[in-house]
Amino acid sequence: MSKYKAVIGLEMHCEFKSNSKVFSSARNSYSEIPNENISAVDMAFPGILPVVNKKCVRDALMMSMVLHCKQPEFMYFDRKNYYYPDLPKGYQITQMTEPVGIDGCIEIECNGERKKVFIHDIHLEEDTASLDHYYDTSCIDYNRAGVPLVELVTEPCLNSAEEAVTFLETMRSIYKYCDVSEADTKKGQIRCDVNISIMDWDATEYGTRVEIKNVNSFGGVRDAINYEIKRQSELKDAGRYSEVEQETRRWDEEEGKTIRMRSKVDAIDYKYFVDPNLPKFKIAKEWLEEIKKDIPLLPLERKEKYIRELGLSDYDAGIIVKERNYAEYFEECLELGIDAKTASNWLSTQILGQINEKEISLKEFYLTPTLLKQIVEEVNKGTISSKQAKEVFYKSIDEKKEPKSFITNDMTQISDKRELENIINTILEENRNQVKEYKNGKDNLFDYFVGQVMKNTRGKANPILTKDILKEKLNN
Amino acid sequence: MPKFTSELVNDLAKKLLIGLTPEENKIVLDEFLIIDENLQKVEKFENIKSVEPMTHCLDDFIYTLREDEIKPSISIENALRNCEKVEGREVEVPKVVGGEN
Amino acid sequence: MDKTIKELHEMLQNGEMTSKDLIQESLKKSYEVQEKYNAFVTILDDAKETPVTNNLLSGIPFGIKDNYSTKDILSTGSSNTLKNYVPFFNATAVEKLLSAGAVPINKTVLDEFGMGGTGTTGHTGIVKNPWDSTRITAGSSAGSACAVAAGVYPYALGSDTGDSIRKPAAYCGIVGYKPTYGMISRYGLFPFASSLDHCGVLARNVQDVAIVVDTMKGLDDKDMTTWDSSTIHLYENLDGKVGGKKLCYIKELCDIENYENPTEELKRHLENFKEKLAICEKLGMEVVEVSIDKKLLSALPSVYVAISCAEATSNLSNLTGILFGSRGEGRNIMEMMMDHRTKGFSPLIKRRFVIGSYILQKENQERYLKNAQRVRRLLVDTWKNLFKTFDAVILPVGSGPAKHLDSGNDILTKNAEILEEHLQIGNFGGFPSITIPDGFINNLPVALNITGNCYDDENVLNIAYAIESAMPYKNQIAKEVSHE
Repeated sequence: MSKYKAVIGLEMHCEFKSNSKVFSSARNSYSEIPNENISAVDMAFPGILPVVNKKCVRDALMMSMVLHCKQPEFMYFDRKNYYYPDLPKGYQITQMTEPVGIDGCIEIECNGERKKVFIHDIHLEEDTASLDHYYDTSCIDYNRAGVPLVELVTEPCLNSAEEAVTFLETMRSIYKYCDVSEADTKKGQIRCDVNISIMDWDATEYGTRVEIKNVNSFGGVRDAINYEIKRQSELKDAGRYSEVEQETRRWDEEEGKTIRMRSKVDAIDYKYFVDPNLPKFKIAKEWLEEIKKDIPLLPLERKEKYIRELGLSDYDAGIIVKERNYAEYFEECLELGIDAKTASNWLSTQILGQINEKEISLKEFYLTPTLLKQIVEEVNKGTISSKQAKEVFYKSIDEKKEPKSFITNDMTQISDKRELENIINTILEENRNQVKEYKNGKDNLFDYFVGQVMKNTRGKANPILTKDILKEKLNN
Repeated sequence: MPKFTSELVNDLAKKLLIGLTPEENKIVLDEFLIIDENLQKVEKFENIKSVEPMTHCLDDFIYTLREDEIKPSISIENALRNCEKVEGREVEVPKVVGGEN
Repeated sequence: MDKTIKELHEMLQNGEMTSKDLIQESLKKSYEVQEKYNAFVTILDDAKETPVTNNLLSGIPFGIKDNYSTKDILSTGSSNTLKNYVPFFNATAVEKLLSAGAVPINKTVLDEFGMGGTGTTGHTGIVKNPWDSTRITAGSSAGSACAVAAGVYPYALGSDTGDSIRKPAAYCGIVGYKPTYGMISRYGLFPFASSLDHCGVLARNVQDVAIVVDTMKGLDDKDMTTWDSSTIHLYENLDGKVGGKKLCYIKELCDIENYENPTEELKRHLENFKEKLAICEKLGMEVVEVSIDKKLLSALPSVYVAISCAEATSNLSNLTGILFGSRGEGRNIMEMMMDHRTKGFSPLIKRRFVIGSYILQKENQERYLKNAQRVRRLLVDTWKNLFKTFDAVILPVGSGPAKHLDSGNDILTKNAEILEEHLQIGNFGGFPSITIPDGFINNLPVALNITGNCYDDENVLNIAYAIESAMPYKNQIAKEVSHE
């Protein structure tokens, strides 16, 4: 246990999926070409007005429900006012007065232990434009301006970098499960702010809170938290805790440290107020019910179900629920009548191995559950060995041909007793010396005879039958 | 210390990215006193805190939200026709250093 | 050009004159009015005639306040910050008029971004009253009021956040109407205070404002605060039948006893108003005096200042000279933005921004903004309560005729009279509100206002239409008084 208790709160911003932006009808899509997906609204020309996208509200409400938040009777939007060249209107439309959700909680599983993370609120807002920096100029690209952004704010209830990252990973996975976001940190779709303080384990009051802005990767979150815990702890150890200031810092990824931006006294007053252009919106109970029906079974619940109902191991279940695609593939296998453990083995080893190696998604993977079934059935019937099954698997995905086409008569096992007896008789005839040695007590030669049979039949001899016949012949 | 000072006025103006002359500052100060006095009367209204603030002009009917449909992007010519400094398809500004937010 | 829309339309259809004739006359008049009263930011010399259709507005010239976005036409908001701004899209209201075949002739001067009530703060200079060029037109729709009163065209667009259509209409002897909030889309209108801003029109008779707003109104998918008014037909419903309608006026505003040392002008204004109430009764309407808590009424100007300044501060934050507007100077981007704003805005509106910003500060919001919003609701509820009994509230506009330019002081004073400010109630509640001329004091026009409940525009216009028809001020063109 570390010397001090760390108290961590997170603000997680995530870009959401939709056809059009949250307050304008311009396309919501990343583009390499600057200013390709823009409308007058995104660029804040005089006289423009925002119009709320229904899908964005729906998705935000769905996440509000997933996080067990309370949804308001009337939803409001507020303006957050500040000046910056990437903020065309001079204010960001966000939610403060009545966000889509408040007072929620969600369970995470960290190192095999369950923990409840409390959610202060979840709200819908718009992204800013982006700045491209050059030698002595910057250029404004408005493609990102107005992209729907969902911000969720936790209570200060996390106690380690690991817990924080687990929470973020859990949320990312939930967003993907619910198909509301690609949640891709590499594309900058997730950005985090971290609040962190330390305190003695037996203390009742929180320590001085430091805010770290704009951490753009989960690794960054982990490193920034650990750096900050260390920095604050060292000051506390040295009796200089008063030097920990309530301030805003930023995470410098390259230097691997947090750097002071501004102190609390310089904090910006964002002058939030209700946006009069967006009428307060009544959230109908019926609509909430409808949205609720669309919430899929989430990873942790699904994992529990796999363990409880299908007898999967914690480990295997954990792998399968990691992504919705995996779980769906798995469940499709079950529907086709493939045994849960078999499906789980194929998925977690061969299949995930392949898609990781080829860097493709499971959706693009050639061998659908229906095709996988062709292989599994033959193994069950005993017509092919598990080794052969793997060969068929790779051939099928390499050549993109149905597994059936590789399962020939030639491949099927020799399980005919008389045929095997003939083969074995011939082999024993040709190996009289070895037979003699075996009979004189050299037991380990038994495997040699099995090997000879396999070699002779190119692996097609039914191994159990082979052993039975050999024992019968050699022991008599 | 008086509630309203010229330093306060200048500070507010600066945060709005506005510079004020001493005369402008004085006018604002004088007006603050009047508004403050009038709004003090408001505070004394009976049960004022129980009234829901009226944030919108009309709040008596149910609005509909926009369906998630894309409209074509505006042309780059239109987007940039009023801009004094353009680089390629973008708006050029002097190098922006550090984050404000 | 001194005709009504309907008359002009008939003349066009009969071939007595062409759209081109009207445009030429309107342009000629524009230059005269510009010379004398400085009403325009832009005169559209290349205005093109349009085919005359069954639409009453087709082929007929009109004016547009310069805070409406007009595609490919300079739109400045009468501010230096946008002195070169040329939008690439039309405001929805403008688009609808263009589709009807209406012909824009000029862009009219306003108080910078609509934030003023004098017509003296536009970046192109002051607008003078066509009845007396030593007086103000009032604002902010100053150029529109001036031009319509001077007979440049039958109507011009205005916008109204406090009384910006209805006050200048009163001072210029014409009709000014702002319909229920959300009936006309605000898309493309430069904002002042979004929860108070209304589009509307100035014309010389009630029938004309009805025709124009019938065309401008409608649900707009670009403005979430618009609503479906397709069952409302303002023009068709003007029948002048008002027997049995009930009007009320407010004692605290109309009783001369309430004023210490009233001016002669105020006395005559209120007397004149009372005479017009007698006309209402003669038309078969019931007119009742009601009393409203003076404390509540006296809070009105401060509530307006608090809400409008707060919203304006935020609404005009997009004016930084980066994407549009001229670039400011400075060593870095923030300095450039500051330079643009410092030089671009007039002292008057900088003042409003600073006040708005103070009101919006976290520690002040509850006390200033939220309380103002609460009193707003109390005032609106009081009026809505009146509308349970009455079809409309009828009140005099202002305390007399237009003030002199040299005393046109837009700074809030301790003695601000509710009589000057009460039209703001129409903005607080989004009520349909119309001002019509009701007489003269020293040869200068004065007016009365009729305000009704939300969505009851047909009723309000019909009452105005009946009263207008019983008075001799319909379709008047400004006649300048002599100063000998």
